[in-house]
Amino acid sequence: MSSLLYILNEDLEPIISRNIRALPSIEQPIAQFKKLYHLGSPPVIRSHSGQFSIYQDYSYAYIQRDSLFFISVIDGDKIDAMETLHYLEQFYQLLKNYFNVKQLDKNLIQDNLILVMELLDESIDFGFVQVTDAGLIKDYIRVKINVPQIDTTMKNKKSTLINSGGSQHDDYDSEELFGSESDEERKKQQKHRRKLKQHHRNNTTTKKEIGHFTKKVIRKWKGDKNKKKGQFSIENNDHNNTDEDEEDDTFMNSDIAKTTVMAISWRTKGIHYTKNEFFLDVIEKIEYYMDYNNDTVRKNLIHGQIVCKSFLSGMPELHVSINKILNRDKQFLSSCKFHQCVSLDSIEQGKEITFIPPDGDFILCSYELKRHVRDQPVIKMRNFELKPKLQKFKLQILCSIESHFKPTNATSKLNLQIPLKQIFEKYKIDLSKKIKFKCDSGQVLFNVSDDFLLWEIGMMKGGHGENPLNMTVEFALFNQEAYDKEQEELRNSMNPPPLVEGIKLDQIYRQVHEDSRESLEVQKHTERDKTRLLHINFEIPYSTVSGINIEYLKIEEPQLQYQSFPWVRYKTISDDEYAYLI
Amino acid sequence: MSDQRIFTKYKANEIKSELQMVDVKKTKSVVTKKKNALRKIIANLTLANYSEMLLLLPEILKFWKIEDDMEVKRICHEFIRTIGSIKPRSTVDSLPFILNDLHGRSERIQVMALETLISIPFNKFTEEAFDFIIQIMNKRSIPEELMKNAIYALVQLDDYDHERVMSLLNILFDIVNHQLEKPTIQIAALHALYLIHEVDIKTPLPHISLDAAFNLLELLPTLNEWDTATLLDILPVTVVPQTHDDAYDMIDMILPHLQHVNSAVSLNALKMVLYLLNYIEEVNQAIIKRLSNSVIALLEKPAELQFLVLRNVILLLLSRDQSLLKLDVPYFFIEYNDPIYIKDTKLECLYLLSNETTLPQILDELEEHATDIDIQMSRKAVRAIGNLAVKLGEESAGKCVDILLHLLEFGVDYVIQEIISVFRNILRKYPTNFRSDVKTLVHYKDYAQETESRNAMIWIITQYSDILPDYLQLFETFCANVLKEAPEVQFSILTSSIKFFVRYPSVDTEKLCIRLLTECTEEATNPDLRSRAFMYWRLLSLAREDGNAITGEMLKDIVDGELPIIELNTKLDPAVLEELELNVGSITSIYLKPTSQIFRMCSMRSLPHSPVLHSDKSTLKVIEDISSIEMSHSNVAGGQNNRKHSKGGTPVVQTMNDYDRPAEKINQLRGNRKSSISGPSKLARKPSMLMRKLTLKKKF
Repeated sequence: MSSLLYILNEDLEPIISRNIRALPSIEQPIAQFKKLYHLGSPPVIRSHSGQFSIYQDYSYAYIQRDSLFFISVIDGDKIDAMETLHYLEQFYQLLKNYFNVKQLDKNLIQDNLILVMELLDESIDFGFVQVTDAGLIKDYIRVKINVPQIDTTMKNKKSTLINSGGSQHDDYDSEELFGSESDEERKKQQKHRRKLKQHHRNNTTTKKEIGHFTKKVIRKWKGDKNKKKGQFSIENNDHNNTDEDEEDDTFMNSDIAKTTVMAISWRTKGIHYTKNEFFLDVIEKIEYYMDYNNDTVRKNLIHGQIVCKSFLSGMPELHVSINKILNRDKQFLSSCKFHQCVSLDSIEQGKEITFIPPDGDFILCSYELKRHVRDQPVIKMRNFELKPKLQKFKLQILCSIESHFKPTNATSKLNLQIPLKQIFEKYKIDLSKKIKFKCDSGQVLFNVSDDFLLWEIGMMKGGHGENPLNMTVEFALFNQEAYDKEQEELRNSMNPPPLVEGIKLDQIYRQVHEDSRESLEVQKHTERDKTRLLHINFEIPYSTVSGINIEYLKIEEPQLQYQSFPWVRYKTISDDEYAYLI
Repeated sequence: MSDQRIFTKYKANEIKSELQMVDVKKTKSVVTKKKNALRKIIANLTLANYSEMLLLLPEILKFWKIEDDMEVKRICHEFIRTIGSIKPRSTVDSLPFILNDLHGRSERIQVMALETLISIPFNKFTEEAFDFIIQIMNKRSIPEELMKNAIYALVQLDDYDHERVMSLLNILFDIVNHQLEKPTIQIAALHALYLIHEVDIKTPLPHISLDAAFNLLELLPTLNEWDTATLLDILPVTVVPQTHDDAYDMIDMILPHLQHVNSAVSLNALKMVLYLLNYIEEVNQAIIKRLSNSVIALLEKPAELQFLVLRNVILLLLSRDQSLLKLDVPYFFIEYNDPIYIKDTKLECLYLLSNETTLPQILDELEEHATDIDIQMSRKAVRAIGNLAVKLGEESAGKCVDILLHLLEFGVDYVIQEIISVFRNILRKYPTNFRSDVKTLVHYKDYAQETESRNAMIWIITQYSDILPDYLQLFETFCANVLKEAPEVQFSILTSSIKFFVRYPSVDTEKLCIRLLTECTEEATNPDLRSRAFMYWRLLSLAREDGNAITGEMLKDIVDGELPIIELNTKLDPAVLEELELNVGSITSIYLKPTSQIFRMCSMRSLPHSPVLHSDKSTLKVIEDISSIEMSHSNVAGGQNNRKHSKGGTPVVQTMNDYDRPAEKINQLRGNRKSSISGPSKLARKPSMLMRKLTLKKKF
């Protein structure tokens, strides 16, 4: 139960504070928190100001996300800290969902002060958490989100400029009206108009701005076209700002108010679609981490998710049967987490899961499976070799991969990212000579700035290691003797230096790496490891590694009895960490 | 509209002029501008610009009269709330408007107005709030949202006027016991009762009858996630199962919720199950598995939540001897991007989870961390290895020591210092086992610079002087500059020199001893050091005199007596543990201290009595040692009787004279049993320094 909620910026200054239980001061707790907080302090802090302190002691639960702190101040004891922390986390997700961004920042919150307040109000009453489901609150609170874009900020700047000159325009207008014209003035006017028109043409965004300053000016402009445009823009603008707001307040689905207190809190009544569809995607991310030098597999995991999109009318009941549940796969059952709509009893019975889905996107189930260390990875690097041929001043990098999944499937995307940093540090590579690539399939690209080779394969057939793909890259090593000789020749001969065609890779490389050189030395151990990771990105549609299978998916809506279209897809993709340490 | 200027401090006049600007024409753009001005007010309230904003109250009231707009209304309420909670008196003017809203048509506005009323601690407002709530409670068919809010409002009102709230509680009791209302309302009523009880103990705790409890549990599938969490949070203690079957049934109903996505729900379900385990005879292996799985699943959450779970894992590992959780060690391996607090807690978990079978795995991991770049981390890892050596038996200690010696070669000074400190503890525990390693360790004496490691080194040299032929030279390097050392080091130098003298009375040792005694008595500024030096001096001179009671033997006994073997005390008081277990997931569980120590004026919580509660010591004279049953046995009894047993069965070491008896024997026994019990041995005299370090004594 929270008594006071804050959102703080990175300097621990409050952006939003919400005094829920009428604490006497809202500054004292935050001042106390500032004293208590230090980098890496645990997420629940309790202050101890001693027996005789004039200040009250509070407990603080906080989470830190994207440079913002979400803090709940708790007075009283025996408080469910888990609930509080989980609420903060959920609230953060809710905000992200509302703003439709991946990262929050303080400007976004400051711009949408009222909205955030409203969300706080709605999600927590008297310190008791009510709802945190974004899908639900979105029906409740429909304030237009004020997302700053680069365009709009530009607009604003311009609008202030133009507005400041607004009174002048009025003067022009009145003069024109009264017909008092001198040549000079006319010229000025024309110039001005031309400028404005140019604005008009060049920058479509200004159109709206022009709508912003007074109507008169626009109307006076010649040409009806302009006039219409102007008026249109005025209306447009006003609509954007005010009409929607009003609409939000008055238009509210009356059923929704009740949903929060009903049993099925995630779905409102009266949803209607003309075409009833339900999409179910089984997505498995594979995490694999192998130390290639020691030949040890560190990680071999599957992170699975069943992601659904529901466009169904009424209150449909879905029956999904998953083979893993049918077979009572122990690992699966112990690790899977279901969306709150799934009645957990139905899993217990072990036949199928039944649920009434929320509207729109949701994650039905997520699970995590461990694979045996000896299980072959989906894309296996069979060989990786550095072949320095020092006599010839050549360095060869050989790499070959093979696939281990059903031969009927194929990858839709397959990229290998081969790190070069280590190699560049170890060998002196002459980039002024051409790099030679050769591969069985796809193409090889060289990223100069981030030091890696990208081998784009695209489609690779499945199988069990029968058709390996090979790639060879040959770098030239720096040859001091030859270089000296060349320099010598250049100096002595009268010929102009040979013309280098194409990109001068060596120069680019030097430029890019000049800055990073210094920071390189301070690099940490762990980061060092990171530069040695060979990442593999892939995507295999129509298959799952774990063998999870949706046996059937039934949609029933007893009242409406409509025809519905269930769609099921499978996909296996690589996790961020599917890598070999080389 | 992304107007950054909203967030700057304004003078009241500036905003006032904006608000009054174009009162005549009521076009839409004007409305937006006014709204903007109102937003500025709210922003200013966040910036704590109260006194200026207070001047705007009349303006706000003017708006309130005319506006119907939801956003404006919200801002008005927000304004009154913020100002009201700080300066209650100044907002009296707004009361009629709030009341107007309170009796309005829209449910949302009613709720908003009620909240505003409640948030102003001033009697006029609270009076109105009470009237309204009574009115609502007596009416039928009130919208649920409003009813729920009214109930929760009582909790807040309890702060202002306890007596009056008390008179209303009967209605709440009725709602809970007779299931008059919708599920959510019932939960809200229960919650309110519970919270009011927490504040004032005189209020009867809502003891829910078993029937009512079962009814509530049957509601579980129909509740929304937060209500479920609340219910599962309240039920422990308020419901007392009367028979074993009751408890079994309840557990069955709760089990599915262990897998809930909402971590608050799943942790509270865990708490409830733990509570019920006190009332049953035996627990099925499958349940243990499910508990463990839910904990593991919770470890996947964001760091902050994970921290809380980890703290509770520690609690469970401490409280249940045979441990209700069967967790694989690798889940607690530290990852480099974990925040510091997670790393620390994981180390503690690893320590508690360690036993003979898991040791190799844990040691491998710790060794890797000991060579980490992160200084703090590597120190902690070394320390953990040392603690493991002390905790587990001789055989395991051998492995730990091997690793420590290996790390010595690593040659980084802070690691070596830490190893030296840790080695002292190991030698205290196993005085004879590692004699041969002392010589290697002494080679590194020059690394010992910090107080603790210096201290440890001096102790080691003194204690093993019999195998170190050049002990005096070694010792000289430390006592060359006594007065500049830290106080603790000074003490140990002094004591050591006396020990040397008593052990090997010779010209050299006497010289050294006298020199240190003179230095400490004449030059030292620390009174403690001086009085200690005087004490030794007198003792020595007494022993010199003939015909005195003190003989050389006695002197040796006093100065250089045999040291007790140290034990790591990982046990907490059973009563404390009992209370902590009822507080799983709360703030107390983070500190692992009884609630009364963290919060002033707070009552202890304890297990309510019931015919089937395992709490009576006399009825629990169980001879068969349940904890020794192999884990393969399908049924493991609830922890309570076990805990009691361990207390009654093994002699509690409390006096000074039997210090040398139990330690090895007990450890041996556990080694033979080879069960996966991780709960460490038995009560020791007092928590050792090591353990206090472990149990998080630093303040957050």
